[in-house]
Amino acid sequence: MTGILKQPGAFAITPHKVSLCILLKIYAPPAQISVPFPFSSVSQHNRLGLFLLALTKSCDDILEPKLDELINQLRLVSQNWEASWLIDQLISRLSSLSSPDDLFNFFTDIRGILGGPDTGAIEDDQVILDANSNLGLFLRRCVLAFNLLPFEGVCHLLTNLGIYCKEEFSSCPPYEETSLDGSSSNLETYSEYENMDLENFVYEKVSEEIEARKEASERVPFHLHTPNALLSLVDDINVAADSASKQTDKVRVASPYEDPPSNMIQDIDSSGAVFLRSNWQVQGYLQEQADTIEKNGSAISLNGFEIILRQLQKLAPELHRVHFLSYLNGLSHDDYSAALENLHCYFDYSAGNEGFDFIPPAGGNSFGRYEIALLCLGMMHFHFGHPKLALEVLTEAVRVSQQHSNDTCLAYTLAAISNLLFENGISSTAGILGSSYSPFTSMGISLSVQQQLFVLLRGSLKRAENLKLKRLLASNHLAMAKFDLTHVQRPLLSFGPKSSLKLSTCPVNVCKELRLSSHLISDFSSESSAMTIDGAFSTTWLRNLQKPRGSLILCQENGSGNSSNVSQFCAQPTSIPGSVLQVLGSSYILRATAWELYGSTPMARINALVHTTCFADASSSSDAALAYVKLIQHLAVFKGYKEAFSALKIAEDKFLSVSKSQILLLKLQLLHEHALHRGHLKLAQKLCDELGVLASPVTGVDMELKTEASLRHARTLLAAKQFREAASVAHSLFCMCYKYNLQVENASVLLLLAEIHKKSGNAVLGLPYALASLSFCISFNLDLLKASATLTLAELWLSLGSSHATRALNLVHGAFPIILGHGGLELRSRAYIVEAKCYLCDTNFNVFEDSNLVIDSLRQASQELQLLEFHELAAEAFYLMAMIYDKLGQLEEREEAASSFQEHILALNNPQDPNDPLVSIY
Amino acid sequence: MSSKESCRSELRIAIGQLTNRCLYSASKWAAEQLVGIEQDPAKFTPSNTRFQRGSSSIRRKYRTHDITATPTAGVSYVATPVMEEDELVDADFYLLAKSYFDCREYKRAAHVLRDQIGRKSVFLRSYALYLAGEKRKEEEMIELDGPLGKSDAMNQELVSIERELSTLRKNGTVDPFCLYLYGLVLKQKGNENLARTVLVESVNSYPWNWNAWTELQSLCTTVDILNSLNLSSHWMKDFFLASTYQELRMYSESLTKYEYLLGTFGFSNYIQAQIAKAQYSLREFDQVEAIFEELLRTDPYRVEDMDMYSNVLYAKECFSALSYLAHRVFMTDKYRPESCCIIGNYYSLKGQHEKSVVYFRRALKLNKNYLSAWTLMGHEFVEMKNTPAAVDAYRRAVDIDPCDYRAWYGLGQAYEMMGMPFYALHYFKKSVFLQPNDSRLWIAMAQCYETDQLRMLDEAIKCYRRASNCNDREAIALHQLAKLHSELGRPEEAAFYYRKDLERMESEERDGPNMVEALLYLAKYYKSQKRFEEAEVYCTRLLDYTGPERETAKNLLRGMRSTQSSLPPTDVDHFTP
Repeated sequence: MTGILKQPGAFAITPHKVSLCILLKIYAPPAQISVPFPFSSVSQHNRLGLFLLALTKSCDDILEPKLDELINQLRLVSQNWEASWLIDQLISRLSSLSSPDDLFNFFTDIRGILGGPDTGAIEDDQVILDANSNLGLFLRRCVLAFNLLPFEGVCHLLTNLGIYCKEEFSSCPPYEETSLDGSSSNLETYSEYENMDLENFVYEKVSEEIEARKEASERVPFHLHTPNALLSLVDDINVAADSASKQTDKVRVASPYEDPPSNMIQDIDSSGAVFLRSNWQVQGYLQEQADTIEKNGSAISLNGFEIILRQLQKLAPELHRVHFLSYLNGLSHDDYSAALENLHCYFDYSAGNEGFDFIPPAGGNSFGRYEIALLCLGMMHFHFGHPKLALEVLTEAVRVSQQHSNDTCLAYTLAAISNLLFENGISSTAGILGSSYSPFTSMGISLSVQQQLFVLLRGSLKRAENLKLKRLLASNHLAMAKFDLTHVQRPLLSFGPKSSLKLSTCPVNVCKELRLSSHLISDFSSESSAMTIDGAFSTTWLRNLQKPRGSLILCQENGSGNSSNVSQFCAQPTSIPGSVLQVLGSSYILRATAWELYGSTPMARINALVHTTCFADASSSSDAALAYVKLIQHLAVFKGYKEAFSALKIAEDKFLSVSKSQILLLKLQLLHEHALHRGHLKLAQKLCDELGVLASPVTGVDMELKTEASLRHARTLLAAKQFREAASVAHSLFCMCYKYNLQVENASVLLLLAEIHKKSGNAVLGLPYALASLSFCISFNLDLLKASATLTLAELWLSLGSSHATRALNLVHGAFPIILGHGGLELRSRAYIVEAKCYLCDTNFNVFEDSNLVIDSLRQASQELQLLEFHELAAEAFYLMAMIYDKLGQLEEREEAASSFQEHILALNNPQDPNDPLVSIY
Repeated sequence: MSSKESCRSELRIAIGQLTNRCLYSASKWAAEQLVGIEQDPAKFTPSNTRFQRGSSSIRRKYRTHDITATPTAGVSYVATPVMEEDELVDADFYLLAKSYFDCREYKRAAHVLRDQIGRKSVFLRSYALYLAGEKRKEEEMIELDGPLGKSDAMNQELVSIERELSTLRKNGTVDPFCLYLYGLVLKQKGNENLARTVLVESVNSYPWNWNAWTELQSLCTTVDILNSLNLSSHWMKDFFLASTYQELRMYSESLTKYEYLLGTFGFSNYIQAQIAKAQYSLREFDQVEAIFEELLRTDPYRVEDMDMYSNVLYAKECFSALSYLAHRVFMTDKYRPESCCIIGNYYSLKGQHEKSVVYFRRALKLNKNYLSAWTLMGHEFVEMKNTPAAVDAYRRAVDIDPCDYRAWYGLGQAYEMMGMPFYALHYFKKSVFLQPNDSRLWIAMAQCYETDQLRMLDEAIKCYRRASNCNDREAIALHQLAKLHSELGRPEEAAFYYRKDLERMESEERDGPNMVEALLYLAKYYKSQKRFEEAEVYCTRLLDYTGPERETAKNLLRGMRSTQSSLPPTDVDHFTP
């Protein structure tokens, strides 16, 4: 025996089904002519038939419509007069069922409208339900279910019928205050819909309008009795329904019905959309909510959703998925304990064996799939920033899934672990992954973290390939690309002399991985759309690699055989599922990041632009925010702060709800940058501290943020001319980066150290740092950073004396192509100034002959620096200009340059400018 | 505390009033306490023991007492049940209704009282309706859903009762009994705060209704709530506090209260059983067994609380006593959940787990919120290696009472069995949080940390240390602590714990491989510390054992002698005669 699981939902007879039977009886009265009494035409009659068909199809509801809802729907379907006739009939027949014997007789009568086995004998114009038709089957099921009822059951049915009718009769007075205003106006709208030509009617508009209307009246039509929470539930399902109705649209082309008025099916659909509450539909609803949470968790209110979930749980106690949703809800609102409790609760009850596409394991393995629980738990800990715990749990997940040979789960787990190792600085994995996975440790060779990571990634990639988990494959390729981008690949085992090692990253590999991951889309579009969704949410957690969340249990990749059900409720408008689009989108983000590192700003910008334009809908909000961040940063570097801040305003409005977002980070970064340039050092320090506070206090978590914060701290100190402190901060930063293998960051830290020594007048000490930074840049192909390092190097040489001017000039000229092509305002103007200084120092340089050469670049520099409001450098440029003009004897220009110089110096020394619009942002 | 005499008279009147209102379990409880009061031998006359059931003359007589009954110093409280009874115009109807009620024809009883407005009639009518609704609810649950599934069957009468009682309360024409019923209804409807207030009102104006106290107790889930209650002082409050402390796992406070109550109610079986319950939670099984033996002697047909007795017998592996108990309760009333549970325990002890599951299931069919049956069934499933079913059963127990540390512990065990020790830790943590003084839980958690998969030995050591601090009966913790420390290369700590373990084994006169291990380790340790005298002592003790250790000890001794003789030759010269 496997637990005490109850068989859910057998076909039980309910009052609603009795009403349907009554309607069916009206639809097909025994021994009648072709068009029975109340109907004026065949089409009228067919209308009712189709309506009934729709109703019977949704008979596996969790919640059945109340009588007044049914009546409302009836009104919509049929004309006024016959509607009231129908309703009268329905109500009177329902209320005539007052004793068990009435029910017995009723169901005996019902049998009469079914055609016998010899259906050939009947006449043409007689309406007889074929016993094998949908409606006939429904009737037969009802009759059977009734006959199976014990007497208690009959009594129950009778009581329930009483309640069902009583609610209708009493519905007006008690509920009037709350619903009347809404319902009456809504009824009008519905008749409007009816009169509309719906041939070209886009369905979304209906739901939009319902939405808007609901906002106005705070009520959805039809659900006068349901509590508010459920109302919103239904409302959301409306949205779900529209994709379903699209499918029926397609079906309609081949519809066998001859005479349906063109708007009729639409009508039925719209009413159908309303009572979509079958088990599937609730699952669909849950799925959709899960998607929303994963896309943008904070958009859903914690408590409001919790209430809905609780209600759902009451209605459908066997539906343990509800616990999972409340786990997701807790997760997205950073409610650690609630998330933890619900996660455990979900897996205790379901053992991972739930979901629409759950296929009972073939070998009768009733063990349960607890490894998925571990995977989810691990990702939860990851999300909450407990890398150590997460690693423990994931290791256990690896072990358990190996034990139960669940390869799919293993592949996901490995991907999750590598993701974890990426995101968090873990200085040593020794003894954690140890014996259980890596084949190397068994050989007694300890691997560094990166090597472990590499092994894991490769393992996961291979597994994903073998198991044909496309999305996982794609995201693994992305992870691989990330790895290639930031890590030098060393051979895992090296024997013999090490001289042959080539210590550099390989951009070709990055591009290859990125390309491979994009192949996914062609794979998906080449598949037929019926096949597509092998678990639209199996990989939703992969959509956003930064924030993994575990809904993959809801759907297993190998469940494609069963997933046609899924497509019914969550079919995507296009043939490419959203999750694929999301993976693709993040590949573009990664491209942008890669080009940013490699130093090609146009490429970076284009990729970010592609993401914002093409994947804005499909991507998660944090991905979208990241793309915006990149674009805004680009603006700041190339167009100055004014434009960047106005763009930031837009982005802030757009991503208002994203908590702990990159947008906030960006804002602090920009403000800090700006404050530094303007010489507003106190503000800069404050901003920098605030940036640091955003990071989690746990060691190894939020490494990027921590590096960023202390880098900025060092820069602020440098600007304040506190060289010793700046150097010590930079030093400890270097140590941290080294410990956690943040090589790319190391390059910039070294450059900063060189800069500090340069500023402190210790050029000789600065040289080795600059050279080290340069070599880092070369081995990681960081071209732009390399150019900037070259520039610093040139400055260092220059400060060693005029004899080195030529060497410095050569260096600057060598870096110019990259700087002018890809560098931002600051870098360019710095290069100009350095160039000018080199010329001026050079003894061979004749000011009187080649003054234009110098003046031109200085003017260019000063213009760009004014855009940036970089007072210090601007002052320097003007100073140089004034000196040159002085030499040349051009007094007017000299005065002009000198006054500009004075202006900037004053601004630098007196940074508080109350009129500054940007300060007020903060 | 009021004098025994006043307690007695209060209870006597209360029993009459409670019985008259068909609050039978409350009156049963009160009667038990009444007989539980120690008889004053001086006043022991037959007339004192005779019950005077609700006759008006007696009541009138006692009503005059309400001033003379002196309450505890400084506390003003109505000590005698003063209930001015309605002038029962419809006394005959009331009698009829009560008879119907006694025959469990609730609806009929309610119908008889349909138009009555006297307080008593109103109460009986509402109460009858409530019970009718409850009965129907139970039936529906079985009809609709099967007893083990969750069901949303509701008591259909709640709404109307609530409406009526709330108007009565607003009008101020409500009596304590109606308040009790109102609280009951509110609690069922989920309005716990108001329910608490109403129940407090009820017990403050009529403290002798034990039902109201128990309802109130079920609403006190934390100490804070308990402390926030504004209860007038009365000796009934002590009963309430004792029982609530027990629920809140404050066993020693509860025991003190009960000891205090024993001063008055010296013969109360109820108090004895409650003490047994607290002792059981403190794992004093011998005392519990003694109490229950005594209880069974005085009250041989008792079924209440006997499941706990069976648990004790189970833990002590008393096969025949358990079977005897099972037979006894089976003959008394086989369709009590407790009886089924006892039989289930018996089969479990016999190792027939399938059968025992059958009986636990039956117990759950009789009362699906029967907490310990869910947990025990979980244990059985664990024994049967059906972990998913076990997890399910435990989870249901936890859902009924999230403070049930046994179920949390069971969940942890189940997951540990499935090879998910880290996942299991979550559950063990829950359970030790709820029951921090139980060494078994700490040991289980420590073992979880110790598994090959985790090897988090430092955490394991912490857990073992906790376990050894809270009276570790099986003495696993000390030994494990010593072992772990020696594994981690901390010889001093290891020696310390081995020595402690040794002392303990000596005092308990236990012997076995652990003893040998401890001796051997200590011998080696002292030898390496160059404290040869101690080392020799341990070595010689080892010589008493057979096996390879004996040889090792001999070798050690020999080695020590030779080093001693070779190292300081001068000393040897001194001592050799």
